[in-house]
Amino acid sequence: MRVPALLAGGITLLIALVLASIAVGSVTIPLADVTGALSRALDTAAASSEAGVMDSIVMDLRLPRTLFACLIGAGLGITGVLLQTATRNDLADPFLFGLSSGAATGAVLVITVTGDLLGIWTLPLAAFVGGMIAAVIVLALVGRLGSTAPEKLVLAGLAVSFLFSALTHFLIFAGDHRAAHSVVFWMLGGLGLARWSNILLVLAGFAAIFAFAITNHRKFDALLSGDTTAASLGVSVDRTRRQIFLFAAFSTAVFVSIAGVIGFVGLMVPHIARALVGVLHKHLIIMAALIGALLLTASDLVARVVLSPQELPIGVVTTALGTVFVFAMLLGAKRW
Amino acid sequence: MKHSQLFASVFALAFSTASLADAISVDNCGEQLVFDKIPERIVVHDINMTDMAFALGLQDKMVGVTGITGWYKTSAEFDTLRGEIPELAPKYPSIENLVAAKPDMFVAGWYYGMKPGGDVTPDTLSPFGIKTLVLTESCVHLNKDRPEASMNLLFDDMLRLGKITGTEDKAQALVADWQRDLAEITAKVGDAKAQRVFLLDGPADKPFTSGKFAIPDAMIQAAGGTSVTHDMDTSWGRTSWEAVAASNPEFLVLLDYQTGNGAQDTFNFLQEHVTMSKTDAVKNARWIGLRYEELTPGPANIAAIAKIAKAMHPERF
Repeated sequence: MRVPALLAGGITLLIALVLASIAVGSVTIPLADVTGALSRALDTAAASSEAGVMDSIVMDLRLPRTLFACLIGAGLGITGVLLQTATRNDLADPFLFGLSSGAATGAVLVITVTGDLLGIWTLPLAAFVGGMIAAVIVLALVGRLGSTAPEKLVLAGLAVSFLFSALTHFLIFAGDHRAAHSVVFWMLGGLGLARWSNILLVLAGFAAIFAFAITNHRKFDALLSGDTTAASLGVSVDRTRRQIFLFAAFSTAVFVSIAGVIGFVGLMVPHIARALVGVLHKHLIIMAALIGALLLTASDLVARVVLSPQELPIGVVTTALGTVFVFAMLLGAKRW
Repeated sequence: MKHSQLFASVFALAFSTASLADAISVDNCGEQLVFDKIPERIVVHDINMTDMAFALGLQDKMVGVTGITGWYKTSAEFDTLRGEIPELAPKYPSIENLVAAKPDMFVAGWYYGMKPGGDVTPDTLSPFGIKTLVLTESCVHLNKDRPEASMNLLFDDMLRLGKITGTEDKAQALVADWQRDLAEITAKVGDAKAQRVFLLDGPADKPFTSGKFAIPDAMIQAAGGTSVTHDMDTSWGRTSWEAVAASNPEFLVLLDYQTGNGAQDTFNFLQEHVTMSKTDAVKNARWIGLRYEELTPGPANIAAIAKIAKAMHPERF
């Protein structure tokens, strides 16, 4: 009975935030014009005649951007839940596999060495490939060990992460020093590249992790009871873990390729969701998705407003929130 | 009836070819940037490119500037020229800032308002009907296959901007004036021995300076010097104090951001520096401070070259 009420409250809040996020940005657009743009977009007959620049800002920039925030936030939230379950580590997050530094390496390689060979898609593709290579190395390392023991995975992820950071900084110093400015985007993230033309990518990243999580939620519950118990319940522990890592790596790499590394969302959200609905995955996954969407939409709103007309990298906001959260978690009496 | 139709279609054909011939095309980092008509709503990024636009008197077509007050103190003269033109963003603009101003042209460069892969690039602006004129000096950030810096970086960019905005005559006259001024400087410097010059952005753990693709390299040469960092294969980049000190510069060009005591602070830093303090330039206190817009491609370059030449070869002026 508690869950439906929480869901209803969360969805209401999300709708409010989505509307605010469309209404507010680095340019001030009167609310009447925003609603006008939305209604004109719905009424296709009038669209061509009246659609102006402000309509375009609302429809082509802010709306996709807000949807990106919802999808990526939800996706990172779910990914965080699955990884914390799989590793039984409170500090596991979607960037565990060196994905962030791998993606940054791919992007910097394009900026300093190859140039945009494939036009506008070069950077996202390079970031995606870089992230996946890092994840595959981590998973291969763990695979060679013959077990998916959580602490080994964390260590392997850390090592690969440092390897790719070194590579990135080598490329910056060997090549164009000013590429360091661009690296900030990949390290701190941002939703400025959100367009209708690339929303399918993000949707695919979200759909993959969401569908996988929902269809396997009972297996994840079993994992919580320990490897032996899970095995006796008929769950193949190693296989389930590998699947989790694979889906998590894929979805996160997709998100990173468009929005850079948005830290702490995948780390915080599972803890908040668990405090609200408990540890069983069916509700936990849905709640984590909702809270992730809320958190990222709100953070993006803050990132756009706080220094307007400049935009802050979104990672600055989420990381600041995350730090406060960790402090609270450390000091709080309640064990999440 | 038939005849009039034929006439109409011939007329239409003639008209369309005429307007096609009117299309203006300029080089833009090795690609062609084509304008079907003269842009009427221009946004310009950074103080040096804004100076270019002001030199051509484009104020009535400028619907905004970006990246001015976030970094520099502007001169009273600049403020007068700018008048009521709004600043859309004090540092790098967001795509929303730009689209809202409804421009048909954005004048900027790589790391002059745009970052590769960022949210404001020629690719992300074109769906909104905004064409981007890219500062030629900055092309090297995307394509290493560029000629070394020369003063053509300034001249050609002025001529391009003039051609696009229908002020080609004015641009040509300005460039001719500048070329004459440069020839005068060269004549005065004459056979004076070229001095070893080091350009420094400011105090730092590693010196940030100009390489062979940045315009200061050409400016130093025009003033009768050689940049000690000419071999750096970049436009602007970092080198090491060791390398700079080993080249023993005789003269310093220091970037003056007009914060604190400006270039004097940078010189004091070099006097305190264990190795740099042993170089001829620091021992003899031979340096000049120049502002950002004097050391990035723009109309202020020419007077800046004269200043460097005078400070470097005072006996010739």
